[in-house]
Amino acid sequence: MSATESPYWNPKTETLPKDQLRALQLVKLQRLVARAYEQSPFHRRLYDKACVRPEQVKTLDDIRRLPFMTREDWMANQAEKPLFGDLITRPESDAIRYHLTSGTSGRQPLRVLDGRKDWSWITDMWCYGFWGFGIRPTDKVFFAFSYGSFIGFWGAHYCTEKLGCLTLASGNMTTEQRVKQIVEMGVTVVCATPTYALRMGQTAEKMGIDLRKDGKVRRVIVSGEPAGSIPAVKKMIEEMWGGKCGDTAGMTEIGTIMIFECDHQPGGPHIIEDHFIEEVLDPDTGNPVPYGERGERVVTSFGRGFIPLIRYRTKDLVCKVPHTRCTCGRTGDVYEGGILGRVDDMKLIRGTNVYPRAVEAVVREHHEVEEFQIVITRVDNVQDEITVKVELKPDQQDCWPRLHAQLGKDLADAHEGLRFNVELCKQGELPRFELKAKRLQDLRPQY
Amino acid sequence: MSPKTNTDLLGRPLTADERELLDLYGRLRTLSARTDLPPVATANVKQAMVLLWNACNDLALMYEEPGCD
Repeated sequence: MSATESPYWNPKTETLPKDQLRALQLVKLQRLVARAYEQSPFHRRLYDKACVRPEQVKTLDDIRRLPFMTREDWMANQAEKPLFGDLITRPESDAIRYHLTSGTSGRQPLRVLDGRKDWSWITDMWCYGFWGFGIRPTDKVFFAFSYGSFIGFWGAHYCTEKLGCLTLASGNMTTEQRVKQIVEMGVTVVCATPTYALRMGQTAEKMGIDLRKDGKVRRVIVSGEPAGSIPAVKKMIEEMWGGKCGDTAGMTEIGTIMIFECDHQPGGPHIIEDHFIEEVLDPDTGNPVPYGERGERVVTSFGRGFIPLIRYRTKDLVCKVPHTRCTCGRTGDVYEGGILGRVDDMKLIRGTNVYPRAVEAVVREHHEVEEFQIVITRVDNVQDEITVKVELKPDQQDCWPRLHAQLGKDLADAHEGLRFNVELCKQGELPRFELKAKRLQDLRPQY
Repeated sequence: MSPKTNTDLLGRPLTADERELLDLYGRLRTLSARTDLPPVATANVKQAMVLLWNACNDLALMYEEPGCD
């Protein structure tokens, strides 16, 4: 079989029997913990405080002896010892890349450094994903990404160069310029956040361009938002672009992606288990939850030299199912439905749990909606109200009376009968986004 | 790092191709550590070494710390 015929980027480890995969993870974990203890004062303090030594990691289950690492600890460490804290294992002079977290949560961004090998590994993780979703050297890949200090699709850009694809960067372009170039160049793969993939599609419509007929896009690879695994969102993207939409997810803290959807699309992305240990834990107790139950992702990453990331609490909400859910042959387990939201994204409205991703899943079932926003307020300092503001597509204005009633009902049905206010906004009134969308506004007083 | 081992991290015997990859990585690593080569050689050999490091690690032929370049 020639290289391009392989459905796997790394056939050897992507299809390893589970027992061998676990054995490989153990070898890597032992060395990672020893290195972190030896080279990172942050980790040495953490482990000394927990009275745990690297040599106590004898089985994979021993990972539970290791204390968690949190973003709060990391931020505090960077504030105490600017700029990078004493978590890093190498001198700054060995780094070739500097990036920041996106700051979506409104907190101080984390600063990260990467060496040559880190960056090459980061690129390679994207290769697992792109290759697995069918991207090949003959593809023309367009990145709708701003190329700033946020890591975003940076690693993916280097990945497609490594694959041998024609790689198109669009850092300073307007949305209209991007759409034009995608069509003009016969681009076959587009990479964007789900929100921005939709926005480019809407812009193309306004420009009189039918991407399905005028373009050649066969794959849209999304990342950066939980919406990438919402079936209704994917369907919208696929209808707009005429190509299959696949989700990936990563984080600046690991520098790359740790999950990707394969070409079989079994309803969620595979975990790259030869490079990561992904635990799913009860966020309150820290105990593992079984397959099929929701919990918090806790990640251990083997590839980054500057930053040992061991048992990092991500606050991402996921539901792991066995790899047998998919018929592609990979033995990495699957996160059913992708990243389901954030553990701390949950809003409590009059006793009912509301997740923004769940609201988006309902709203996106209605193709008449172009943009939306969720606003939470407190009336008279007592009663919480949740409002979904909706902007309709220009040619769908007449459907409002029907949609207003239906959307209110659908939202209530999905939330134990909770009443949602649904309001119509004027065309262009709601904000549009290029990177991660911020569609939730919680205007309640913060105590 | 030199390809002295006959097995990968899983204890499987190395194939001829795997042995060649490891051997090439070992040679590039030695070369990239030299300080007497012109910048054009040093920088490009380092890049090549890093890419081979990636392949050897991904294939579980070794697990060498990413930091030591």
